[in-house]
Amino acid sequence: MAAVLEPYIYEGGIHKHTLITELLEDLGGYLIQKVPAATEVTLTMLIPREDVHLIEELGKKLLGTLTKAPLTGTEIAVVSPTLASHHLPHSACDVAEHLRRDGANTNMIGLARGMGRRVALSADYERRLINEHDLAVFSFGTFSDCIKNKKPKLLEGVNIPKVVTGGPELKTEEVAHADVYVGNIGRVAHRLRKSDEISSLDVMNQKVGEVVEKMREELAKDPLAVLPPRVMKEVHEQVPQIYEVLTPAPITLQLDGLRIKLPYGQFHEKIENLEFDEGIRLSELARITPSKMKNYILVKIKRESEVGFVI
Amino acid sequence: MEALETFIVESTVPEEGEAYKSIISDVISELVLGGAIGRIKAVIRPEDSLFQMAIILRGSQKPVKLSDFGEVGYGALEKKEIKITINEEKYLPPLLEKLWARYGRGNVRQPERRTVIVRQKGDLETEIEFLKEMVVADPKQTLLSRLVEMAIRSTPEGFRVRYHSMKDNFFIFVASEDSLKPEWIEEGHKILAELQEVE
Repeated sequence: MAAVLEPYIYEGGIHKHTLITELLEDLGGYLIQKVPAATEVTLTMLIPREDVHLIEELGKKLLGTLTKAPLTGTEIAVVSPTLASHHLPHSACDVAEHLRRDGANTNMIGLARGMGRRVALSADYERRLINEHDLAVFSFGTFSDCIKNKKPKLLEGVNIPKVVTGGPELKTEEVAHADVYVGNIGRVAHRLRKSDEISSLDVMNQKVGEVVEKMREELAKDPLAVLPPRVMKEVHEQVPQIYEVLTPAPITLQLDGLRIKLPYGQFHEKIENLEFDEGIRLSELARITPSKMKNYILVKIKRESEVGFVI
Repeated sequence: MEALETFIVESTVPEEGEAYKSIISDVISELVLGGAIGRIKAVIRPEDSLFQMAIILRGSQKPVKLSDFGEVGYGALEKKEIKITINEEKYLPPLLEKLWARYGRGNVRQPERRTVIVRQKGDLETEIEFLKEMVVADPKQTLLSRLVEMAIRSTPEGFRVRYHSMKDNFFIFVASEDSLKPEWIEEGHKILAELQEVE
């Protein structure tokens, strides 16, 4: 059984940060994302539980900070009714940003015809795109009447856990199809930075974290045949073209799979034939399909009960 | 009338009206309309998909002429040049647009921040008189477009069926996602009448 991995974010100067990534590699952890910004760098990583203190000490020496990031390794869809200025950039982008601070990878999805009450609807393509994620956060508006009676139809057909944010304080049961409702994050035309707004975002992160924790527990009952970070590592080693991809997260981890941002037609065979040390190919362990997002490759890893073993 | 002396937003649920007020005030400040609006009242009934708004503007601003913010005089006489000295740079872009359209880009020079030199062929005297009276910016025009923008931005997005009326300084806006009922428009006019009564 592999060591228990804990998600952390390291924020610090870019100077000598490779010491951290080298140590992480030696410890058997995984670097999930590296975002350099001028002289600063943000590293999202999975560290073996018993070795966290080693990274922490080194981080302190380099004057950086190591914080826990409970949403690491999840891909969250932040869904806004449309892409018009009514819904964006605030509050949907603030919601996405706050989720990213806890380590999640977020995708903003603006529906084509999600606005209004009677006329609101979502397309089959949009629902399938949302279903590729681990979890969806729907960012709704100010009026309880809309959130209770009209908007829930946008949640229909979405099979992944759904978190709804809105202005009024409602109970989760009042919003049909929603798994969690978070209030006080309604439609605003300014950046969320007052203390009460930030604390509602914190509440949201906490509730999303609880949902993710529950999903992880479900997964632990019938574990994945291979851990997504391990697949990521193998892709890095065996498909060097991934280094030429310019998106911020060329490989995005999900709880039960990963999205590889290479064109499907050209690369799916390479990904299917990815070989592990145990002599097993990825195609035996996972379903590899074209993603609804651009032309990417979506890998969903099978469970132990289906494959018969775990590597 | 003071700026924003009346600012009311009503909704079926009072707290939601308050929340919506913050959206409208953000939109107003974003479009720099705070000084132009005297009184404003919006009524929103989400269960009817209805948004109504009435606005009374403060006294309208006059069109800005070149002589309001600059001086027009003689430049180099032998070249038949006109020298324009401006005191307020914020009108420079529309002024240059107008000068380019009239004299051509090659004939307009700006040797220094606040000075524009125009080379022209016509009679100096009459050209100078013309330039002095030339309207460079019309705040009312931009105000109107900003007002419409504000109305559209502050309406819930799906409400695409709209009615608006602009008369003197009075603006009425009604929007819904269904076809508008005549009584809703009447209500809009009533809201305006209410605002006018406030003294």
